[in-house]
Amino acid sequence: MAQVDLKIVKAHDQISSLFWLLLSIYASIESLRMGIGTFHKPGMGFMTFWASVLLGTLSLALFIQVTLKSEPAKTSPLFAGKLWKRVFLALTALLIYAKLMPVAGYLLSTFLLMSFLFWIVRGKKWWWVLISSSLTTLITYYVFSVWLKGQFPGGLFSF
Amino acid sequence: MGVFDNILYGFQVAFDPSNLLFCFIGVVVGTLVGVLPGIGPAGAIGLLLPATFRVSPTSGIIMLAGIYYGAMYGGSTTSILVNIPGEAASVVTCLDGYQMARQGRAGPALGIAAWGSFIAGTLSVIGLMLIANPLARVALRFGPPEYFALICTGLILVTYLSQGSILKALMMALVGILIGNIGLDLVNALPRFTFGITELEDGVGIVPLVMGLFGISEVLLNLEQNLDQREIFQTRIDHLWPSLKDWAEAKWAILRGSVIGFFLGILPGGGAVLSSFVSYAVEKKISKHPEKFGKGAIEGVAAPESANNSATGGSLIPLVSLGIPANPAMAMLFSALIIYGIQPGPLFIKNNPDLFWGLVASMYLGNGLLLLLNLPMIGIWVQVLKVPYRILFPLILLFCLIGAYSVNNSAFDLFLMILFGMLGYLMKKFVYDAAPLVLAFVLGPILEQSLRRSLMISGGSFTIFITRPIACFTLGFAFLLLLSNIFPYIKKRRHEYREFEE
Repeated sequence: MAQVDLKIVKAHDQISSLFWLLLSIYASIESLRMGIGTFHKPGMGFMTFWASVLLGTLSLALFIQVTLKSEPAKTSPLFAGKLWKRVFLALTALLIYAKLMPVAGYLLSTFLLMSFLFWIVRGKKWWWVLISSSLTTLITYYVFSVWLKGQFPGGLFSF
Repeated sequence: MGVFDNILYGFQVAFDPSNLLFCFIGVVVGTLVGVLPGIGPAGAIGLLLPATFRVSPTSGIIMLAGIYYGAMYGGSTTSILVNIPGEAASVVTCLDGYQMARQGRAGPALGIAAWGSFIAGTLSVIGLMLIANPLARVALRFGPPEYFALICTGLILVTYLSQGSILKALMMALVGILIGNIGLDLVNALPRFTFGITELEDGVGIVPLVMGLFGISEVLLNLEQNLDQREIFQTRIDHLWPSLKDWAEAKWAILRGSVIGFFLGILPGGGAVLSSFVSYAVEKKISKHPEKFGKGAIEGVAAPESANNSATGGSLIPLVSLGIPANPAMAMLFSALIIYGIQPGPLFIKNNPDLFWGLVASMYLGNGLLLLLNLPMIGIWVQVLKVPYRILFPLILLFCLIGAYSVNNSAFDLFLMILFGMLGYLMKKFVYDAAPLVLAFVLGPILEQSLRRSLMISGGSFTIFITRPIACFTLGFAFLLLLSNIFPYIKKRRHEYREFEE
């Protein structure tokens, strides 16, 4: 079991360190393109170049350190069980909301989002979902838009 | 004017009805944030930040600071009654607080947590009042090299004190610097890392970043678990006023916790979480009965709760006197001040006496209000705890969305927040700490400016950081901190190598 855990830890850290390494390579190339200038007159890519070089070095160090590590460690797999699907659903709903809100307006898009979020964790009747979503939407609209004078898009209800 | 005159002036400001109202709202929201797991004080400050745009900066800062120290009070309630910390700073309170509740002593545990928090909070405000102004006067002599050195040291301290791997924390600080540099270059006004997106030319907003990394990611992580598993320990909550015996046992723990919390709060990356752990460890170490810790020792509740409240006052010191935020919540206050057009730093107190002294006085009042909110009204917070998470999480997500949108009325900020939410979620999975990223994000642009100006002053020579005493001493300290990490690692490797040879 310890061997499996060790492999998982290694894999996690190896993947993440490689991700940061790639990011640092991209950032350093981009910084060079912007111009790092000289020590006398640093350019706009100066700071980001050295920050990305350091990030790359540390990512590489982490990768080597983890790869050479021999001691066992305890951890769990990244996406254990089936509940991570809720995460995927919630994220998709949030992305759709961000796209929909400027077009459909705060009231409609928030009502749809709340209905979906209340629904995905189940255990409640559809009428409960609809009433809670409507109340949440109207109360937050009143507090943040009417009372605190926030400017939310009217969308379909802007007349 | 002396300190006494200043604080009297501060009370005049704090007793202004609108300031008093915002202080009350701040501490109520703070307690709520502390009681409910999920959003955290930095996220809550981000949520309510746009709401303060239409009030005076003094009222706004009073409210936002109230959220921060109020959350420290609220966090103890869940730790004691549910064994789940509402706030990271209350994790250690679970150890003895929950055991006290199981022994039918929930009342004294909540009582000593609230009184300890009140005493420590008040002491830390006195410390803030006495230290911030002289430190700001010293900081007036600081130039770009000193600022560069201070920020470097601050970031290294953050990574040094961060939870988990220091290597990963350093990497996160560098990622924070890179994200902080997105937008127009301050010297040439040319875009950097904007990918042709116009909205990115103003840079990444701190509200979407913090709400994504702390709010959204926490909700996503909780969604993976079975919701509503928490159970409130069913017990009578009475004897909220601790007995004389309880006071006798806890009084020194409260005082020690206050001192530890205050000084650790000043350190970048120190803050409430670290101080609560350190004070608990100190109490256990010096106790005549260390075996009682973890089994319901009242000192085990008094010390960390005092320390985390005391840290709030301490963490304001680098913000108001040096312009350097010590933790993510302070980074939010830093950004709030910038949005109000106020520059945090050595001239902050001199140029904004009403704001600083009003804030200090409001913290005295806020601590008193919190005592009233957390003792006689404890029943209300227990009811709040009973709200199922399946109802809570859509609301937290909605509040994050509203907060991120309201700052610039921009749907692009929603996408940014969701992106940082995903990043924060994965960072938690891969065990990366978000605090160094946030602090480096805020400090990155100042760091860059200081470095570029220092090099221009010195004609491209790095000796400027050695010839200036403060910069040299500060960077030397940072260097020693880094070395102190490397030496044990080398020692361990040599030991392993010898073992392997044998």
